[in-house]
Amino acid sequence: MTDMLPGLETVLQTLATGLLVGCTYGLMCVALGLIFGIMRLINFAQGDFLMLGMYFALAILSGLGLGTSIGSLPALLLAALASIPAFFLLGWVLHSLLLARIAQRRGATEGEAHQTQLIMTLGISLVLSNGALMAFGSTPVSLNTPLASQAFVLDPLGGGDVLVFLNEARVLAAVAALIAAGGLYALLHRTDLGRRLRASADNPLAATYMGIDVVWSYRVTFGLGFGLTALAGVMVATYYPFQPYVGLDFVIVMYAGVVLGGLGSVMGSFWGGVIIGLVQQLSTLVLPLQLQGTTVFVVFLLILLIRPQGLFGRSVERA
Amino acid sequence: MFSTRPRLAYFAVAIIAVLYVAAIFLTTNSYYQLMLALVPVWAVMGLSWNVFSGYSGLVSFGHAAFFGLGAYTTTLLFAKLNITPWIGIPAAALVGCLAGVLIGAITFRLRGHYFALAMLAYPLAMLYVFEWARLQEVSFPMKREDAAFYMQFHDQRWNALIALGLLVIALLVSLKVERSRFGMSLLAIKQNEIAAEVAGIDSYRWKLKAIALSGALAGAAGGFYAVVLLVVTPFTVFGLATSAQALIVTMFGGVGTLWGPVVGAAFLVPVSEILHAELGGKFPGIQGVVFGIAIILVMMKMPQGIVWAVRDRFFAGKGRPAGSAVTPAHLAPAFILSEAAETLLEVQGVSRRFGGVKALTDVTLKVRKQEILGIIGPNGAGKTTLFNVLNGLVTPDAGSIHLKGTQMVGLPANRICAKGVGRTFQVARVFARMSLMENVVVGAFVGAPTDAEAAERAKAALTRVGLGHLGEAPADTLTNYELRLMELARALAGGPVIILLDEPFAGLDAGEVRAFMALLRTLRDEGMTIAIIEHTMQAMVQLVDRFVVLDHGCVIADGPPREVVRDRTVITAYLGDKWVPDAVAS
Amino acid sequence: MLSLHKVCVRYGGLSALTDVSLEVGEGEFVTVIGPNGAGKTTLMKAISGVVPLAGGRIMLSGTDLSKVPAQKRPHLGLAHVPENRQVFGGLSVLENLALGTTSLADPARREANIEYVLDLFPILRERTTQLAGTLSGGQQQMLAIGRGLASSPKVLLLDEPSMGLAPSIVDMIFERIARIHRETGLTVVLVEQRAIEALELCTRAYVLTTGRVVASGAGRDLMRNEEVSRAYLGA
Repeated sequence: MTDMLPGLETVLQTLATGLLVGCTYGLMCVALGLIFGIMRLINFAQGDFLMLGMYFALAILSGLGLGTSIGSLPALLLAALASIPAFFLLGWVLHSLLLARIAQRRGATEGEAHQTQLIMTLGISLVLSNGALMAFGSTPVSLNTPLASQAFVLDPLGGGDVLVFLNEARVLAAVAALIAAGGLYALLHRTDLGRRLRASADNPLAATYMGIDVVWSYRVTFGLGFGLTALAGVMVATYYPFQPYVGLDFVIVMYAGVVLGGLGSVMGSFWGGVIIGLVQQLSTLVLPLQLQGTTVFVVFLLILLIRPQGLFGRSVERA
Repeated sequence: MFSTRPRLAYFAVAIIAVLYVAAIFLTTNSYYQLMLALVPVWAVMGLSWNVFSGYSGLVSFGHAAFFGLGAYTTTLLFAKLNITPWIGIPAAALVGCLAGVLIGAITFRLRGHYFALAMLAYPLAMLYVFEWARLQEVSFPMKREDAAFYMQFHDQRWNALIALGLLVIALLVSLKVERSRFGMSLLAIKQNEIAAEVAGIDSYRWKLKAIALSGALAGAAGGFYAVVLLVVTPFTVFGLATSAQALIVTMFGGVGTLWGPVVGAAFLVPVSEILHAELGGKFPGIQGVVFGIAIILVMMKMPQGIVWAVRDRFFAGKGRPAGSAVTPAHLAPAFILSEAAETLLEVQGVSRRFGGVKALTDVTLKVRKQEILGIIGPNGAGKTTLFNVLNGLVTPDAGSIHLKGTQMVGLPANRICAKGVGRTFQVARVFARMSLMENVVVGAFVGAPTDAEAAERAKAALTRVGLGHLGEAPADTLTNYELRLMELARALAGGPVIILLDEPFAGLDAGEVRAFMALLRTLRDEGMTIAIIEHTMQAMVQLVDRFVVLDHGCVIADGPPREVVRDRTVITAYLGDKWVPDAVAS
Repeated sequence: MLSLHKVCVRYGGLSALTDVSLEVGEGEFVTVIGPNGAGKTTLMKAISGVVPLAGGRIMLSGTDLSKVPAQKRPHLGLAHVPENRQVFGGLSVLENLALGTTSLADPARREANIEYVLDLFPILRERTTQLAGTLSGGQQQMLAIGRGLASSPKVLLLDEPSMGLAPSIVDMIFERIARIHRETGLTVVLVEQRAIEALELCTRAYVLTTGRVVASGAGRDLMRNEEVSRAYLGA
């Protein structure tokens, strides 16, 4: 019995961490899934949006010194709240200036038009990550909030034999992710705006017949996706050290989550992210740490090959 | 590009090689010598990406997989088994080729975005596997005493020469691809995989060949890259940046063209290296920013890349010879088809559902040799589905189709084409930038053992439809009528026994319709059998020997035109059941 | 109300519409009939602005539409019920109807319009939460018409509502269209392949063949017109 206990404790601890990390992944995936689901655009700059969110948090907490003047938790909440409108605006501008202006070539197939947009996001990604390198340098930084070193302690069985530690920073990040994803769900399904966005994705031509400006819908979507990714960045920054290329650590997690949830299913992406978080953490129980990344890819590839419509998707993309 | 001015391109490769050799020997600065070795590496990577993604249209984000496997193959062979890179690089190409076949065979079932994302995952998964296998940093052992044997030249210029050699090989291979049925078939697949299959192209086979070749080129480039840098890490060879670089040099220079990746690499690699060297100390990342801005600008201003933009700007003048293809025509006196003519195509009880919709129900019909059969019916009656079943794009749920007594159900479209069923589509599919000849030759590969033979057949087909003089004209200079003729020629080039024409008269004026009809009549008189879907009833009544009328997926009438247009059921299907009968009789 | 003056549309080098002129008065029910491929759908798309004009002019109650982008036209009172229904398959029936009211500002009016549609097509009321993509063809057609009506348009464009539907459903749809016109006095432009049903419904009709108007007149007169049977049957 006593031999079993450390095993049980480890499993519970891993599950708890996996869930918490998974919720944060879920938010990143929802943002990417939103952009893909509505615009049918694979956004390559997603990792860099996340990175910008992290530096945004750093700027608010350390740059403006709010972390010390009003305390790190209020400063963090401020950064979280401010990140969405700030990066929404940036996304709006990027879409207006760049993505919406891609020259359409005579006789270009739909695939070629998508290729062009995708390469454009690749260019945006290069500018953002290397611009950040120029601005912030390559030394990894962290937010140094006390949250990262504090933990809530759970005693699920009572009696203090099995203790599960929940890192406060991760708990906060998970809560923020749940609120944001829930908010997005409400926006998409309970408001006029959300209905218009979904209609623009479902059938752009019919949406135009309804008097919806589809390009405007895409712009809002891109802004929202950027804002939510930056929020995820702010939250991850509380416990994850970062540098300008940090986005790469998360890019594949995001794609895997979105595919797992079913390309095009926005809320499915959230659950995809949660599952990726769990799989990644649970794999550490049986696999060496270095293969943690590989598990994500293997899951990703298996899902693509066996069930390309994802776990929550309705149908496979038309050929 | 098919069979046009092949010598010029080989000549250009030779000139560039000579100039590059001169540049190599004039360069004394070892840093610039290194750059001269790196430009060809990325040009080869671009060519590798282009051979697969550029021609076939399947976007790969995972070319780092082949590159990285190549780099590790060469390095490990050397470091662990003491095998020289002279063998290691070809081995790297072989490994890349095998990886290509394997990845392709697994991944080709996915399409569009799914394919692109799956390709993204392969190199990144490998990255972690190589890290886990403790291969984080593998160096080349120093072998200065046998420098030439172990490819460890003290003088960087030798490396640049070897890189150039690789580039020349990659260029020649690409040229070979571009000028042959290989490249043409891939382009046809890119344009429309279904139409390509119907023209007799086995798309799976060509895609697999392309990714195998592409993998080999990328593997060799990776192998050589390791030799130049003397050390490999999973991150540098399998990283996202490597895949991106292959794609970027190609997109920047121009996709689907031989020179695009070369121009892209020749421009971007030095710019980024120089920026890095000159300003990298003060502004780390400056080259990435400039790179990114360059990509954004190119995508906005000339999304097709530099080479195409230059070609359009300076060489667009090459138009078409004057002369109209429309010859005022009188219909030849009707050929009386013998009642005893043998049955060529026999459709027996064919049914097909899509979900709950019955697209075809128990369709039975015969087409006799040298007959012109008109298939008519209201929108949604199942006419196009019937054609799709006849050439194997759609498998029927029940029923049989025999061509000259051979069962056709179950054969893939490209095999049915090879058995002699030609087809045109409602919407003409053309390769706008290619010549008429190149557009037509795609249809000729199926029956022609050699490319030269295919070219002959394409030429004959063009002459047959009256476009012989326009063979070199770019397809986007053609009129709608000429495009319709071109589609017919493409179908004829495969040497079919029966051709299925889907709305060939759409958008033609009355004179053009008459000329087209006269051509079809002549083809028939010479032995061709024709089935035709068309709405232009005035024309159809004069043209066809017999009508089959479909409504809601069923054959509701079958007989000579004069009888069918007076058939009560047919009138109801077309005009509604309250049509006043005497309006038609008058 | 709606007038087209020498409208031309080209796809690449291909002429889809040539010098099409037509007039639709307020409260009129005008039908455009013609065989497949005559350019009927293109005509509708030109009116709602999703295909560009190569020539000519379209006026809606005195406004020149040439400078008005497609997504602004519903706000001027144009509703397009497209060919093949084009419902938002992944959204519920109620959401589809709500999207139809996008161009209306007043929430009470939106509510009332949706109620009107649900009264008109009771079957939709039973299925408000169902995804539109899972409806039968006839129900999707009702939804598409209802979605168009929900914007209280001045002009309703109906593109071949009978396509792919069984005859009994077609009769019902046509009966409902007639009722809508009778009850609301709405201006209707109906494009149809099924000539007779359409001609019976309308006040006036145009016959379109290969992108040109070849005949026009009162619906009843056209029923015996030779141009019509020639256009359809070539005889």
